[in-house]
Amino acid sequence: MSVSYWRLRDRYYRIIGSICDSCTYESFPKFNTCPKCKSHDISDKEMPNTGKIISYTLSYESMPGFEHELPMSIGLIKLDNGVNIVSQLVDSEVEDIKINATVKAVFRKINADGNSGQIYYGYKFKVINA
Amino acid sequence: MNKVFLIGAAGTAYGKSNLTARDLSMLASKHAIENAGIKPQDIQASFVANAFGMAEKQGHLGPLLMSSLGIPHAPSSTIEAACCSGGSAFREAYVNVASGFYDVMLITGTEKVSHLDTLTATTYFAYGGDYLFEGCSGASFPGLYAAMARAHMHEYGTTEEELAAVAVKNHNNGMFNEKAHLQKKITVDDVLKSPVVADPLKLFDACPFSDGAAAAIIASEEFMNRNGLEKKISIKGSGRSGGSGSLHTREDMSSLESTIRASREALGQAGISVKDLDFAEVHDCFTIAEIIAMEDLGIFEKGQASKAVVEGRTAINGEIPINPSGGLKSKGHPVGATGVGQIVEVFDQLTGNSGKRQVNDARIGLTHNVGATGGSCAVHIFERE
Ligand SMILES: CC(C)(COP(=O)(O)OP(=O)(O)OC[C@H]1O[C@@H](n2cnc3c(N)ncnc32)[C@H](O)[C@@H]1OP(=O)(O)O)[C@@H](O)C(=O)NCCC(=O)NCCS
Ligand SMILES: [Zn+2]
Repeated sequence: MSVSYWRLRDRYYRIIGSICDSCTYESFPKFNTCPKCKSHDISDKEMPNTGKIISYTLSYESMPGFEHELPMSIGLIKLDNGVNIVSQLVDSEVEDIKINATVKAVFRKINADGNSGQIYYGYKFKVINA
Repeated sequence: MNKVFLIGAAGTAYGKSNLTARDLSMLASKHAIENAGIKPQDIQASFVANAFGMAEKQGHLGPLLMSSLGIPHAPSSTIEAACCSGGSAFREAYVNVASGFYDVMLITGTEKVSHLDTLTATTYFAYGGDYLFEGCSGASFPGLYAAMARAHMHEYGTTEEELAAVAVKNHNNGMFNEKAHLQKKITVDDVLKSPVVADPLKLFDACPFSDGAAAAIIASEEFMNRNGLEKKISIKGSGRSGGSGSLHTREDMSSLESTIRASREALGQAGISVKDLDFAEVHDCFTIAEIIAMEDLGIFEKGQASKAVVEGRTAINGEIPINPSGGLKSKGHPVGATGVGQIVEVFDQLTGNSGKRQVNDARIGLTHNVGATGGSCAVHIFERE
């Protein structure tokens, strides 16, 4: 995944999405035409780093690179501006992970290409107020 | 638009196979040609549905399949829409024949994944979703459907026992399908005690990774008349919609907008309501998906479908049988084949060839095929002539 990951790094490092300059609709990841008003006047926008859990799972099935983290919590999060994001949930007690819990983004190692290859960093979220 | 008929359909057994996707596609196609009562050279063009050809290092299956049928000149390309590849290929073929461009087309769905280990298979499946922004965050398909299940449970009070009832019903139906992957009777307790895959979904809430192929042949009315063929089944409606390609960009996590749009399109063309359906084959990749499908199709109110399953209203002898074939859950889910295999079940049901799982006096059947978490949906409606 190295090439696309590098190209998209600002979206992973700082959660950069888009805002529509005509109707203020925001979304993540970036878009080119506003899904709401179809305007082409779009700017980059850093998403807020806090939000609430709208759904979640404790997964026992792995994706590549997460084998040693099972079971892992994954959250569907509504950020404070109303934009949704999917993220791993870390540094949180399993019983605190529930719908409406407040979460905050943290910067973490996400994955690596083998033992000596490139290391990927990006956002994960943790519960700050269950 | 011209009237189009479903004239032949057949599938291989689903499960773990030693054959390649290529060989499986040839078997299903040959069988469909035989039961359509036509010759291979009557086929003018074809679409192949195959999502994971590269897992076998073989793309561009079409010309190989056509050559094996002795018609290498017939154009054939692959249509890929993740788990909705089969339904999408059928839709595109329908458009070609209904518009009058071709008279006869073959649609073949095929998949071979059982040679992959669980992690590799799970990863290939995730490529059909938003891989960079959901898969790379650790969310597999079971993980994403688990999030949908949790949202549905939160919103409507749906329970794990109710989800389990979907699996029990589909395994019951699959017991009568000798081509089903998992022919095994299970109880609600078996489902609840099966290993957790992505909480709240367990092993028995999920469809398996299957190999298999299915093929269908459609023809114009003019071709039927010219060759004096008996018109058995007509295609009454074809609906196809896109939806948000990611789960997180959707407005409602417990509904698929693409199912709503595709089904309204197909029902509108057919000029019927869901009340007129005698049965439906819906996309139950996970038990929650069958609940959401029935609600989005309009068969039950939001929040009511799971109750209906528990009450037996969707069993083969219920008021609206859902997945008499056993569905993806029991019959299996060879991705590219799945949408075409649903149409094979409709063909068997409407021609009275479904044996012990025959729906009584089946006249109108619907197929509903979904790709990823709703990025693609195809709905077709068929009627016995
Ligand atoms: C649940 C899942 C991870 C299990 O895969 P797996 O771990 O590779 O399973 P295996 O093939 O090793 O099978 C282990 C056993 O469980 C059984 N099994 C596998 N999947 C099963 C299922 N879905 N339901 C019931 N039993 C199943 C197998 O028959 C086997 O039994 P046996 O040991 O008696 O032969 C996998 O089936 C899965 O991810 N399914 C969902 C597929 C999906 O996401 N589809 C796309 C939807 S959009
Ligand atoms: Zn706008």
